[in-house]
Amino acid sequence: MSTTPTDARAVVEPTSDETEFVFFSGKGGVGKSTVSCATATWLADNDYETLLVTTDPAPNLSDIFGQEIGHEVTAIDDIEKLSAIEIDPDTAAEEYRQETIEPMRELLGEDQIETVEEQLNSPCVEEIAAFDNFVDFMDSPEYDVVVFDTAPTGHTIRLMELPSDWNAELEKGGSTCIGPAASMEERKQDYERAIDTLQDDERTSFAFVGKPKDSSIDEIERSASDLSELGIESQLLIINGYLPESVCEDPFFEGKREDEQAVIERARTELDANAMATYPLQPGEIAGLDLLADVGSVLYGGNEAAVDVGTATNVDAETAVDFDSMADAEAVADQLQPGDETRYLFFTGKGGVGKSTIASTAATKLAEAGHETLVITTDPAAHLEDIFGEPVGHEPTSVSQANLDAARIDQEKALEEYRTQVLNHVTEMYEDKEDTQIDVDAAIANVEEELESPCAEEMAALEKFVSYFDEDGYDVVVFDTAPTGHTLRLLELPSDWKGFMDLGSLTKGAAPAKADQYDEVIETMKDPKRSTFAFVMYPEYTPMMEAYRAAADLENQVGIETSLVVANYLLPEEYGDNAFFENRRAQQEKYLGEISDRFDVPMMLAPLRQDEPVGLDELRAFGEEITGLDDITKETEQEVTAS
Amino acid sequence: MTELTLYEEAMCCSTGVCGPDPDEELVEVSVALDQLEAEFEDVDISRANMQHNIDQFLETQRIYDLVEEHGPSILPITVVDDEIVAKSEYLSYDELAAALETASPTEEA
Repeated sequence: MSTTPTDARAVVEPTSDETEFVFFSGKGGVGKSTVSCATATWLADNDYETLLVTTDPAPNLSDIFGQEIGHEVTAIDDIEKLSAIEIDPDTAAEEYRQETIEPMRELLGEDQIETVEEQLNSPCVEEIAAFDNFVDFMDSPEYDVVVFDTAPTGHTIRLMELPSDWNAELEKGGSTCIGPAASMEERKQDYERAIDTLQDDERTSFAFVGKPKDSSIDEIERSASDLSELGIESQLLIINGYLPESVCEDPFFEGKREDEQAVIERARTELDANAMATYPLQPGEIAGLDLLADVGSVLYGGNEAAVDVGTATNVDAETAVDFDSMADAEAVADQLQPGDETRYLFFTGKGGVGKSTIASTAATKLAEAGHETLVITTDPAAHLEDIFGEPVGHEPTSVSQANLDAARIDQEKALEEYRTQVLNHVTEMYEDKEDTQIDVDAAIANVEEELESPCAEEMAALEKFVSYFDEDGYDVVVFDTAPTGHTLRLLELPSDWKGFMDLGSLTKGAAPAKADQYDEVIETMKDPKRSTFAFVMYPEYTPMMEAYRAAADLENQVGIETSLVVANYLLPEEYGDNAFFENRRAQQEKYLGEISDRFDVPMMLAPLRQDEPVGLDELRAFGEEITGLDDITKETEQEVTAS
Repeated sequence: MTELTLYEEAMCCSTGVCGPDPDEELVEVSVALDQLEAEFEDVDISRANMQHNIDQFLETQRIYDLVEEHGPSILPITVVDDEIVAKSEYLSYDELAAALETASPTEEA
């Protein structure tokens, strides 16, 4: 069968003898990994030596290829020219630590090495290590093409900024947090080369993957403009998972399809990409080489997408579960309502699973029930204001619902606050030291310069996060968190820094107050009476496994237990009466069963809606539909009436 | 040319003042060194900490021996030209200035 090469093909296919790089970015849950795997498979099948690298801290290449991959470059079975690696930030950090420590072994004893090892447990080390890894793969002459499946957008842009940030640090001559000064000159050249390559559109292609949803396109638009400020132009847009026309046979799905097509049209006209490609929603999940080959042949080979409705999934009807028996409204409500003390609710999970909507809905219902409620998003790509239909800023501000405030962490403002706080602290140090020979202004300038380091941003976000545990006057504080990997890092930071502070050198006996504050936050997060961790997911393999692994990490590394799960986007029974949706529904039921087996906690069930709820009225109405939330209001009303 | 070298423990960054609540002593010493560098024309000041500059520890025999014998608690060590002027503690601005003046008495002339 002869096919017409597509525009997308021209973007990803190597054109020179030098190694070329293709980056796939986009929100989590949009099919980024699937598209990356399909692209890498297609390139390898077309005779290019191909390496697929994922920098996503919650990778799922192993699931898609059906074989173990992990932190080593691994040959993919049955595809001759394809290898893949999942960069594990923890392993990368450990490797980096060992490299740094190795030369010290000559001088220090085992006990002393251990102390240094713990000192190197600084959260910055992980970022440096992941980055070093990334730069190393930018130098892989043995491959014709390297495909990067990157972490969700916000994080990726950080990664792209780092070479410039750190290069600027090096220009200033300080070694700051970056690493051993001896090796820096060499690294500097590597960084410069990486920046040049990233900005060279002959060698680097940048692709965004999105869903046919306005919020998805909005985010791509923002990210593309951030990238363009770094001198990197996006060249390819892939819209994944649109509803195929042939299966939309009732007003609910016809309506959804029309909306999606309008979004695709909007993307085509508004976004400035050289090429665009689409792939439809399939009745089953995309895994295994045949399906990957199909994706590749549609995106790059110009073939029509085949939606094979009849034989798509082999879901066993026996495994189907009874929704009603799973939802325990009272147990869910128990997890959400405050006790005598403020309750902290954390909604986390893969990007694109509807965390913000669920968090906003819960916050609205809790406020409606009379609890003073604050909802905060920590996601740099957050859109709380789209959901509430009202401005939401860095400081908590009231939205039209009584008892409800909303805020979003503005990274730049948080950084400014952090700087001010540290500088005030330094000024205070000198207040009662009149006889000092030290020029106080110079001291401040000195610390200020140190605060230019990229690690300060991470510290600033952490400080802001921790500060919300001191907000007075709220019965409930709801956190709508960034996608899983990133959030895990944030939640682990108080523990990491606490351990780090206890050790000295950096803080040498200073900062006991700071360490106590972190201790308290850790204790609060670990106390199930005060904190509820809820994982939001839709009932499919990847979001479920990602949540499951993240929950295990949270428990092992910080001692935080998950106490609620939210299954979102459940296909309504009354629509989609055909084999395609039957298949998808059966698949959802199977995974609902697995979710309830894996997480032994109450489950909140939320249906797919024709439109995402926007504004307080719709949030309230949506809240009534979600098991448990409606009862919060009723229960409280009864209590009020009874007293 | 007078050389002042400060050998320090492993620190996350070159000055140790990049955390959320910087240590007072480290802030003082950073700024003191900056000031001295500006005030004394013929003085070369450098800092070496075990994480970032381990080579300097391995290649400087006297420092190597001291750390090997006493462990990192012997740090910080302040060296002016070839003389060790302080061990196990940071010097104040005045003490550092005095040490430099002793080492290069021609400065004022």
